[in-house]
Amino acid sequence: MKDIVVSSRVRLARNYEDLPFRGRITGEQSEACVQRTLDALRELPEIYQLFLLRSADEVERKALMESHLISPDLMQHEEAGAALIRRDEKISIMMNEEDHLRIQAFAAGDDLGGAAENAFSIDDALQRHLSFAFDPQWGYLTACPTNTGTGMRASMMLHLPMLTLLKQMGKVNQLAAKLGLTIRGIYGEGSEAQGNLYQLSNQVTLGRTEKEIMDAVSAVAKQMGEMERVFRQKAEEKDLIILEDQIFRSFGLCCHARRMPLKEFMAHWSNLRLGAALEKLPLSLEECDALLISAQPGHLQKAAGRALEEKEMDEQRASLIRNALNGGTK
Amino acid sequence: MLCEECGKHPAEVLMTTVVNGQAASRHLCRECVKKYKAGDLQGVLAAVLSAMAQKQQSPDITCPRCGLSYAAFQKSGMLGCAECYQAFRSQLAPLITRVQGRAQHAGRRPPLDPKEQERINKMEELRMLMEAAVAMENFEEAARLRDELRAMVPAREEKE
Repeated sequence: MKDIVVSSRVRLARNYEDLPFRGRITGEQSEACVQRTLDALRELPEIYQLFLLRSADEVERKALMESHLISPDLMQHEEAGAALIRRDEKISIMMNEEDHLRIQAFAAGDDLGGAAENAFSIDDALQRHLSFAFDPQWGYLTACPTNTGTGMRASMMLHLPMLTLLKQMGKVNQLAAKLGLTIRGIYGEGSEAQGNLYQLSNQVTLGRTEKEIMDAVSAVAKQMGEMERVFRQKAEEKDLIILEDQIFRSFGLCCHARRMPLKEFMAHWSNLRLGAALEKLPLSLEECDALLISAQPGHLQKAAGRALEEKEMDEQRASLIRNALNGGTK
Repeated sequence: MLCEECGKHPAEVLMTTVVNGQAASRHLCRECVKKYKAGDLQGVLAAVLSAMAQKQQSPDITCPRCGLSYAAFQKSGMLGCAECYQAFRSQLAPLITRVQGRAQHAGRRPPLDPKEQERINKMEELRMLMEAAVAMENFEEAARLRDELRAMVPAREEKE
């Protein structure tokens, strides 16, 4: 499934029993929320880093958001927002988001189970010391009643260039909606899909176990993957030249361009990943996925160590891509 | 007119949503319409809430702990604290069932704390003693044990 599924993510929403939710929480109580979380997680063996939104600079925050380690929602709450991030960036615990805690875990490719295991281990570690708001009927209580129950969102990032090209996404959306799932652009709610990347996730959180939720997402992802593969195969059989032309044009451009705006890059990136998945390019899927993140504005600026203007950014991006594709030669 | 969902962009579409037979119309901007089309649950919740508000089904209740009124919740879709779920329980129950499609949690639960575990063990013991007393036709003792058991059930559990 690595040819289709870029990554898997599991999020758990949790709230402390005794603290008001975000709409009614005081500054002092928000501080307490961060402090008790840190105290409870002190025993974890791995190395974590704490980011306080108010003391992280704009470039840093943007880079974290591009890696999904913090959410756009948390970005908007810089007074109280914080995130505890494991050094390998596979776990991020956001604090003072819509809920007191949003425990997130990530895995490469098709591995919701692996991500969930990590998220549950943090949930368990916290519950050894602290009590979350829980109702026997409605499960874990959340600020918005649409998240109660498991408080879980299981999502997979899918690369669906052929389904997009052949205008099948409407159908795919309906299929997902029927099963209580939803498809969105990569940076979550309200954003457009760039690079033909989609995030498939569950909507309903009550009355299904965590495993049922993950199984539903995996099953639909698998079905979409199969549809995408059929179209890829058909394209190879019928219009091989057109398909290869599209892939190699993007590859050629990326190998030589001196300036690469983000939007243009996202379109070429999709072709590169398709080329890598079909084993037409000297490029692995892992290299391709790493490039996607490192070419985003926040990451480019973080690498440069300063804020960049758009033109500079486009030059830096072009140079980064050339290096990645040509193995360092110009 | 501004979008009724985000309040930021101009409203361009009149969106009518029918959820379990209840229709609600709202003026929305393009971005928010996309959210509805994606089947966003928060959007469904907002539609149901505004349908109820239109029908003036806003009971005058306030959460005793955080002071949030039910009317304020209808507007924002956000609750103020864990206690709100108790304060608005009878209003929230049909709403949650409608939005989530189910009414009973399944899945992970908090670990029982030792005191709670002790209480459950004690109740189990009393129940066995009571059954034994009934079997031996010692009804006086059985009634005493029944009252002792009743006193151990927390208020919330009793309601269900």
